[in-house]
Amino acid sequence: MKLRKWYWLLAVLVALSLVGTACGGAATATPASTKAASAGQATEKPAATQAPAPTEVPTPEPTAAPRVLKVANTATITTWDPVKSFSTEAAYMANIYEQLLRINPPGSKERFTPLLAERWEHSNDGLVWTFYLRKGVKFHDGTPMNAEAVKASIEAAADHGGAAFIWAPLDHIEVVDDYTVKFYLKYAAPLDLIASSLYGAWIVSPKMLAAAANDKNYFETAAAKGIDGGTGPYMLQSYTPDQEILLTRYDDYWGGWHKGQFDKVLVKIVPEAVTQQQMLEGGEVDLVTRIPQENYEDFKKNPNYDVFIEPSFFNYVGFFNTLHPPLDNPKVRQALSYATPYDDIIKIGAYGLGTQSRGPVPQGVWPWSPDVKQYHYDLDKARQLLAEAGYPNGIERHLKLTYASENATEAAFAPLIKDAYAKIGVTVDIVPMLWNQQWALAKADPAAKDTQDIFLLLYWPTYSDAGTDNLWSMFHSSEKPFFNLSYWKNKDFDHLIEMAAHETVTDPKQAQKDYVDAMNLLVDQAPALFLFDTKAIFIVPKYIHGFKYNLNYPFVQYFFYQLTSEK
Amino acid sequence: MQRVEFLIRRLLTSLIVLFGVSLVTFALARVVPSNPAALYIGPRARPEEIARVRHELGLDQPLPVQYIKYMEAVLHGDFGNSIATKRPVLEELKGRLPATLELLFTAMFLAVIVGVPLGVMSARWQGKAPDLVVRIGSIFGVSMPAFWLGLLLQILFFRHLHLLPLAGRVSSDLRFTHPIHVITGFYLIDTVITHNWVAFKDVLVHLILPALTLAAYPIGLIARMTRASMLEVMGQDYIRTARAYGLPDFLITYVLALKNAISPTLTVIGLTVAYSLTGAFFVEVIFNWPGLGLFTVHSLLSIDYPAIMGITLFGAAGYILINLAVDIVQAWIDPRVSLN
Repeated sequence: MKLRKWYWLLAVLVALSLVGTACGGAATATPASTKAASAGQATEKPAATQAPAPTEVPTPEPTAAPRVLKVANTATITTWDPVKSFSTEAAYMANIYEQLLRINPPGSKERFTPLLAERWEHSNDGLVWTFYLRKGVKFHDGTPMNAEAVKASIEAAADHGGAAFIWAPLDHIEVVDDYTVKFYLKYAAPLDLIASSLYGAWIVSPKMLAAAANDKNYFETAAAKGIDGGTGPYMLQSYTPDQEILLTRYDDYWGGWHKGQFDKVLVKIVPEAVTQQQMLEGGEVDLVTRIPQENYEDFKKNPNYDVFIEPSFFNYVGFFNTLHPPLDNPKVRQALSYATPYDDIIKIGAYGLGTQSRGPVPQGVWPWSPDVKQYHYDLDKARQLLAEAGYPNGIERHLKLTYASENATEAAFAPLIKDAYAKIGVTVDIVPMLWNQQWALAKADPAAKDTQDIFLLLYWPTYSDAGTDNLWSMFHSSEKPFFNLSYWKNKDFDHLIEMAAHETVTDPKQAQKDYVDAMNLLVDQAPALFLFDTKAIFIVPKYIHGFKYNLNYPFVQYFFYQLTSEK
Repeated sequence: MQRVEFLIRRLLTSLIVLFGVSLVTFALARVVPSNPAALYIGPRARPEEIARVRHELGLDQPLPVQYIKYMEAVLHGDFGNSIATKRPVLEELKGRLPATLELLFTAMFLAVIVGVPLGVMSARWQGKAPDLVVRIGSIFGVSMPAFWLGLLLQILFFRHLHLLPLAGRVSSDLRFTHPIHVITGFYLIDTVITHNWVAFKDVLVHLILPALTLAAYPIGLIARMTRASMLEVMGQDYIRTARAYGLPDFLITYVLALKNAISPTLTVIGLTVAYSLTGAFFVEVIFNWPGLGLFTVHSLLSIDYPAIMGITLFGAAGYILINLAVDIVQAWIDPRVSLN
């Protein structure tokens, strides 16, 4: 009797473990199994990731370790499709794919670096742009890069790209010969800036584009097999969602390779800032992308690391709801602009990593100008303006301020605004919401009582033209608000920026002048608070050389090709 | 016959439970105001894009229609595609389950081999020092939040003592020098089968901290439970008789007493396995463990409906199975318990 019971117990345990094994056995293999033999064989394209039922058990051969750069990144992949890409996966896309040209950081000798185009020119009226392509470049799948490929890529981007709108000025593309492409525009626009965009400007293998036309998920399936359609220095070797991305070097890269560069880049997706820091300090990774803000000071004192603090092209804006009285009165908005403690906001919200904005265009990006005015913290001025507007005792009704609860910086400085406004008799109710909810509320019914009065926003332009991006998206009048979350409509402003946009190519000096006038009008009317331009901070161990941040590519913390190490 | 009847009855009630779980989860996920279509595309999607994706994902249909469509597919084995990774949910679950199960089993194994003897010891020396230590220790184990304990262990063993690794299942260098040939997904088993001893040691070492963190609660609970039932059993007449006969202490404690005392502990073990599944969420986040927990956290944060539904249904089914197994085991060990 006793024995039978124990046999039953054993049977149950065995059954449970069999269930567990069955689940595990049917799983698609992790990258380790399929890439077992391919370490060091960078050009061999790996096969599908299904784990084959092993007939014999291979004893693992220890292989020579390639030079691996280990990076901890928070950026996840929304899509592997270079045409649809419009999110944080740009961090990896920029190492696998290339545009025709790349814009250099501000202050560089040359404004652009030629990539797939060696040189370019445009007609005097700015309507025809000609790009002369680099010869002898191949995509990672072996297809040659030529004018047809460029045409196919840009047409795909203009048609259904995540950032398709950047190609709005495009009329059609002409293939003159294998290495010459002509872009015909509907109106003058700086195509060099557009073609250097982080989104919607990658040149992709036409073979893969054709396959993707028939299969929506083509690039995702391809990525699971370690296949990509780029020309860049690194190729995708394997991808495990939410865990890691392994890049391997493309031996035939047109830029060539020299000593000290990395053969492989292993990116671990680590959303926790604390974990990233521990990994860096413990030597588990070489580079990180986010550590807790309060700990940067420690690294500055550490002789093993270099700390780089660079301007970035993110900025913080606080939209006033100009449809909600009394925020429809410019004097009230100006008063609030004077009541805002800009320095404290930067010090406390951003740990000092920022500079007060001059309008909504971040410093270092066209058409920023030092001639654009700023407000400064002055409570007396604020009270005076409020009184002039008819509110000598402050504003009776509460103002609702919304911010994205995922944003720790906004969470830190929103209370500072509340405290400061309280001093001039304005009560602010702070309402954190998930970003999507905050945005949905703002767009639903702007005039409705429930809609916010102040909307805090972290903004960045899609490509390096904050005139057609920031100024237009945020403040050009529109019937259905997208980013114009102050719902402001001003014909003079619209006219100025429309003119300036057209003049950008044909008469840049006049364009700058018109933009400055527009921005000063904007600051004067104050439909929003222009808070601060953020700074990006990077911690690089001393044994890694070649790091240079390019603010034009904000999500690309590192261009791996530029990095070398003697280790 | 009675057993078969019992099994059938349990299976039927389980199905009803699963149906109820699916309904509630579905409703809850939809009630939270968010827009997975927007998350799917990226932070700058235009309204037309969002509307298009909503339609593609079927999110613009009325809720009952969406639910029926989903359940229909489930009955055919199709749990839909994850909105975040765009791969079939079933594939995602299968791929990540072994990592979580390995962690869970290791933690439960630790919990039983540490918790039960501690409980027995505590009962044996009731009122004395070992009892006090175990009682205080188990309170700590039960009350310490998993994420806090995990961080503490990381700081102590990784940062200061440099003894154990920080996170992950395996060192990243190893994937180039001694890659693991994955067969079952349980790295401990796979490395043994393939004689990959370097990797085996590495995997074991990576398991220690997360398993310890996850085991803290069960150890505390199991120790207390075992102690309580041991005390009850050891006070009984037959034990006194055995002592009077001069049977060795070891035999009395571990064979005569424990066998009768273990029944409530088994129930507790079953419950803590289920509880530890949720504890695994925190542990996996802290230790960047590529299992179901980490995937669940990401799915919740991005309101990935198909993934959330899939994970919940699987979790519910797993919980039901475990409890069923515990009930059966209990009935066979303890004749006083009948399968009614």
